[in-house]
Amino acid sequence: MSVLLEARGLTRTYDSGAAPVPALAGVDLTIERGEFVAVMGPSGCGKSTLLNLLAGLDRPSAGEVWLDGSRVDRLSETALARLRRRRLGFVFQFFNLLPMLTVSENVELPLLLAGKRRRPARRTARRMLEELGIGDKADAAPGQLSGGQQQRVALARALANQPDLVIGDEPTGNLDSASAGEVLGLLRTAHARGQTLLVATHDARVAAAADRVVTLRDGRVTRDRHLEASRPVTLPFDPDPA
Amino acid sequence: MTRTLVRLAFAGLRSRLLATALTVLLAGAATTTLVLVLEVRETGRDPWQRTFEAAHGAHVLANVPTSAAAQALRALDGVTESDDPVPETTIELTTSRSSEPLRVRGVSGRPAVNTPIATSGTADPGDGVVLERSMARALGLTAGDRLRLSGPGGEQEVVVAGTAIVPSQSRYPRANPGIGWVALSTMERLQPDQSAWRWAEALRVRDPASARFVADSVLAGAAPGTVSVQTWQEQRDDALKDAQPLQLILSMYTLILLAVVFAVVGILVGARVLEQNREIGLLKAVGLTPAQVTAVFVIESATLGLVATVLGYAAGTALAPRLAGAMAETMIEPPATAADPAHLLVAGLPVLLVLVLSTWAAARRRTRASVLNALQSRQALPHHRSLLARVARALPLGVPLHVGIRSLLAGRARVVLLTASISLTGSAIVFALSMQAALDDRPAGEPSDVPVELPALVYTLDGVLLLVALTALVAIALLSVRERLHDFGILKAVGLTPRQVASTLVSPFAVLAGLAGVVSVPLGLALYVAVYAAAGGEGDPVVAPWSWLLAVPVGTVLLVLLATTVPARVATRSPAVEALRLE
Repeated sequence: MSVLLEARGLTRTYDSGAAPVPALAGVDLTIERGEFVAVMGPSGCGKSTLLNLLAGLDRPSAGEVWLDGSRVDRLSETALARLRRRRLGFVFQFFNLLPMLTVSENVELPLLLAGKRRRPARRTARRMLEELGIGDKADAAPGQLSGGQQQRVALARALANQPDLVIGDEPTGNLDSASAGEVLGLLRTAHARGQTLLVATHDARVAAAADRVVTLRDGRVTRDRHLEASRPVTLPFDPDPA
Repeated sequence: MTRTLVRLAFAGLRSRLLATALTVLLAGAATTTLVLVLEVRETGRDPWQRTFEAAHGAHVLANVPTSAAAQALRALDGVTESDDPVPETTIELTTSRSSEPLRVRGVSGRPAVNTPIATSGTADPGDGVVLERSMARALGLTAGDRLRLSGPGGEQEVVVAGTAIVPSQSRYPRANPGIGWVALSTMERLQPDQSAWRWAEALRVRDPASARFVADSVLAGAAPGTVSVQTWQEQRDDALKDAQPLQLILSMYTLILLAVVFAVVGILVGARVLEQNREIGLLKAVGLTPAQVTAVFVIESATLGLVATVLGYAAGTALAPRLAGAMAETMIEPPATAADPAHLLVAGLPVLLVLVLSTWAAARRRTRASVLNALQSRQALPHHRSLLARVARALPLGVPLHVGIRSLLAGRARVVLLTASISLTGSAIVFALSMQAALDDRPAGEPSDVPVELPALVYTLDGVLLLVALTALVAIALLSVRERLHDFGILKAVGLTPRQVASTLVSPFAVLAGLAGVVSVPLGLALYVAVYAAAGGEGDPVVAPWSWLLAVPVGTVLLVLLATTVPARVATRSPAVEALRLE
């Protein structure tokens, strides 16, 4: 496997008020192509900060981010936006669907940005929503969907362009058990297709599905553990294999 | 509780100075125009009265076919004073530039009633002519100039002995032909046929309030159509008619401004209520009823309305005499401030009502949301199935414009109000352009009955409207940025560049402005034609050429781009996560 994403000495300090608050303190991390990496740790340990920096949503105070051999942390906002639309998909804890667009339009958005024409984009979006079991909600407003359904739409949006890397920030954190299981199933399907996943989570079941678990504490990597490749991970909410 | 509501309202006002200033400016402008409508005519009332007294004016001025008929009027019941009847006839006045009809009055000595008051030179024509002042000014004549008078009896070159005014004669060329005074002998030479003369008899009556009764007696004693009569009240109304076109224009602008006030205040209050959903939820959580929360907003608006009314009244009363300069032509002194306190009430009431109603309408619906919904700042669902949304989906629009239009359509009330205010502002510009085209269309040198203050007034009011519209647009753009900051973060995370994200805000506003600009053209033309008809215009009105009219939608789009681009670009420069952190 080759290295897809690399963080070198990644540091992020927030200047809020009198004293600067360090959120990330020199994190080194390498992610291979096709890996499913879970990032764990207590609240405030820097999981979201790390993901935001790796996705180019935020700028590091120090350190470097490399994607597929190119340094990306110094790119302009415009170049970062272009990079995200081609190579990255991001799933948020609170879904972050655009409320003014329909479910289908939310999924079409990255496809259109990538240059796909409107009709094929619509067809692709509809097909993806059908595959996710929410084809009948294509013309609904995001606010009319349940949390689990909204996260599936967010996932469809993140996967629409089949990006190299899918980053999820607590994608099951705001869902009930059943919905979390569905979302995890979709993530595993994406992984099985060869997509690289980097997911911050508190959920041990999500972590158990990953190839590797990176643990953060106080802005530093305290543990980086590869899980056994042969283990069959069965979770209580997994769909019946039969 | 009332005290608490008032304190909350004042705290709200202090926290939003731009919206506060904009509302006061708008409502103040509307009050000013309304005060001007009411005051501009009144500013001439006192100067005319003093002119009437100085001229020993006629309570009843009769124009009859013979001297004998004129003299018989002196015996009418109630008449206390009169002088010999004054003959008059129409001749031609020719200068080096033009030839105009002139109604000359033949005088021998100084008339005791309705006496001409000299304003330059002398009121005694001698061998020359005394011209009514407004006519002399319109023709560019002053005392000492030479001109030619011609009538059926021949031509005569005379000197302008002076200029004068009488309270019975209104401003030239509105009163056309103008009048002049010559010696009786001069008049006899110009029009020897005395059957072509008419006779003016100026009567003073015992009870001026009963002048109409005496005038009716004059008419009753004459064959129909042979006699005309004017009471002193009619003379005064005629003199004050110079304010009429100003009043008409000001009334139109008052309506436009009030409509824009309604629209802009509705948008600002609506946006603010949305922005403060959480605070509203907190207020309701601690026990305020929806009506009390609405009351906080209404108290704010009413306070701004009161401030605007007082400022607008002060500005209106101060400006009114300056606008009524045309009336000064026929009076011994310029128009003066009238400042009728009743006008404060009459002008303030509609402005306050519009402010309070627009606030109440915008706040009422939103304060009805449940406490939980308000605390969660849950916004209303956009209308995905609306016709406009479906049209937007079907059109091959770029991603930023598509997203922007869908965002805009999520607040349809705001779209309607914004389109209305831009269209109304545009229509006022179209009106001004058409007025200018009509003025330009007039042959050079031809006197105009349009008061010189009118174009300046129209352009000033257009300037105020433009300023207000631009400020409102900037305020609305800032509010939209604030409301959509989180969406901007999502768009960036999905892959829109900062320029594209800014475009989601700017481009729909530009499309909206273009549509509103196009609508404003027929609307403005319709307004112009309506005002032209109401002002008694004859024939087809001259309107602005298409090349001028085309500039309105184009200019509207450019101004909107100017007003929205900077806030949008500034808002979209920061990293996506800063916007997303606002969730």
